[in-house]
Amino acid sequence: MTGAAGSSFRERAEVQLANARMRANVAVAVDQRERGRRAIFDGLDHAGLVGAAQAIRDHTLARLDRYLGEFARNAEARGTKVFFAADAAEAVGYVRDLLAARGVRLVAKSKSMVTEEIELNRGLAEFGAEVVETDLGEYLVQLAGEAPSHITAPAVHMSRGEIAALLSRRHGRRLPEDPEALTGFVRGVLRETFLAAGVGISGVNFAVAETGSFVTVTNEGNGRMVTSLPPVHVAIMGMERIVPSFRDLGLMLPMLVASSVGRPVTAYLSFVNGPRRPGEVDGPEEVHVVVLDNGRSAILRSAYRSVLRCIRCGACQNVCPVYRQVGGHGYGSVYAGPIGAVVTPLLQGRDRAGDLPFASSLCGACDEVCPVGIPLSGHLLGLRADAVRGKGLADPETAAWRAWAAAWRRPETYRLTGLVARLGQLPLARGGRISRAPFPLSRWTGGRDLPAAAGETFRARWERRLRRG
Amino acid sequence: MDRTAFLRQVRGELRGTRAPERPPAWPATPASGSARGPAAVLAFLEALAGVGGVGRAVARQALAAAVTAAAAALPEGAGRTAVVAPDTDAWREAIDAGLAAAGVEPVRPAPDGWREAAAAAGMGITSAALGVASTGSVLIVPGPNTPRVAGLLPEAHLVLLPADQLVPGLEEAMPVLASLADRSSAPVLVTGPSRTSDIEMVTVFGAHGPRRLEVLLIG
Repeated sequence: MTGAAGSSFRERAEVQLANARMRANVAVAVDQRERGRRAIFDGLDHAGLVGAAQAIRDHTLARLDRYLGEFARNAEARGTKVFFAADAAEAVGYVRDLLAARGVRLVAKSKSMVTEEIELNRGLAEFGAEVVETDLGEYLVQLAGEAPSHITAPAVHMSRGEIAALLSRRHGRRLPEDPEALTGFVRGVLRETFLAAGVGISGVNFAVAETGSFVTVTNEGNGRMVTSLPPVHVAIMGMERIVPSFRDLGLMLPMLVASSVGRPVTAYLSFVNGPRRPGEVDGPEEVHVVVLDNGRSAILRSAYRSVLRCIRCGACQNVCPVYRQVGGHGYGSVYAGPIGAVVTPLLQGRDRAGDLPFASSLCGACDEVCPVGIPLSGHLLGLRADAVRGKGLADPETAAWRAWAAAWRRPETYRLTGLVARLGQLPLARGGRISRAPFPLSRWTGGRDLPAAAGETFRARWERRLRRG
Repeated sequence: MDRTAFLRQVRGELRGTRAPERPPAWPATPASGSARGPAAVLAFLEALAGVGGVGRAVARQALAAAVTAAAAALPEGAGRTAVVAPDTDAWREAIDAGLAAAGVEPVRPAPDGWREAAAAAGMGITSAALGVASTGSVLIVPGPNTPRVAGLLPEAHLVLLPADQLVPGLEEAMPVLASLADRSSAPVLVTGPSRTSDIEMVTVFGAHGPRRLEVLLIG
């Protein structure tokens, strides 16, 4: 399901491009999100806000070891258990052992990208646990056996008709194609899950070093349910998801929410300071936090460190012309869009997802909307350069570019290439277009027409006009 | 993985990096505000209405009538009971009179009866520690007198908040949240009713939490 291995971006993109309804749904959704984002920052000093948010993130990343240590000490002082996981296996193993120790079979989970990254649900299902996603979009995607297609709108690719059919089939009753009725139905189903689950699993939007607290950001309230109703709460966080103090959240929370959904705050900013205190009426008896590396520390040392500033708002996906066409599934990875094209090869390895940085027009729209100033198009270019440097001179594409550069360096050979092109296209050009060309040009003409070269060169035409003039 | 080894590895990858200073201040965010006093009340009510919540400024003498109006607006099919958190005891008479006038029964469960009572109730009534004028948010602070489920499981959540407990913007709520780290296991900033737009980007209220959120600013 996750992981780019097994198919290339090109293959996945072809499948997605043929799905006209998915593309229409995604276009409507991302445009709505981007309009909201623009409107809320209208009249504010966006560049100044980005500069400040970037400084907080860079400061934190540069002292990440200290802030993580401080977070763990303070969380433990308030009764939270903190586990550091080097990779996905360690993180999944910790949760699995916890379920075994508590004899828990049913888990209620709120939306979390990092749990997708480590394929936690699969790991727990293999162990026999039932993990129920409780964010409405994630629940639908889980029922359909698919992967989320957008960071903050996981079921953005599904229409209400598809959703009604899916729920009707899975629950054995006819449900109307009405968002309100469908949402109400799922509310009832999941309410039972919240109350019956032995463990609640959430992500972490920000963790606060000074107190060992953390916060989940949701509109639905499922984050609040998952962290309040089951007797055990486990939160999983990428190790970069930390801020030094609550004061920083005064900036980072609105930057996240406004960039994501065009509002100053979501319905629930739910903080966790540890397990239920003596005297409190309710809340979990145990709170665990799993801090995950899984390839992040290697990024710290690289030229791509600034991708760890990412606060997972999804704004870059909403403006990306490639994401708009292929949707989240085109990327074949948990993280899609520009941020996914950068971070996936870094986390999974260039051999598995090395083609993703090429899935970009480098238009730079993502750079402009990123609330923490990640130079996404620059990183995409850097990853491409790394990939090409790794290929060596024997590569046919490299050889072709070198030959082209050599030919165009001298007037005689430059003119010769023009002559070759004009003669070579004769059997191919129809009405000034080339719709079908032999390999390797077929890679271009398979999706687009190539304009035919004019019969007369500019130079020849210019000389003719001069003679006439 | 051993914690010391984990942190040592991170430190190793960071060797030689200089940390930029954190900004001492930043421009106004989408959640910043400057309104105080009566202007804060107006800003709060407008922001709350903007996210589908209901807000009213009420004089203390008019509290019972406002509770009646809130209870009368309970969604159809909702239970005709209201679980009342002990943190609202200062207004107990007005609450009970107001609920009675709407035909809704106040319930004050024992600590171990809260979950069941809240799940069956049409309404949960709690106080809030503060409100954020710029966003229409209320800060609910669970504790011995404030069960988490009171504002989470019922169909409607009614919040009572003295109007002088408004802060201008989200930044001003942060020192309060920091100070709660030792006093409450899980404070929450609630802004409007629970909602989702996961199906074709259509907003639907009551995704998981209350479908209706009403805040009474008591002046």
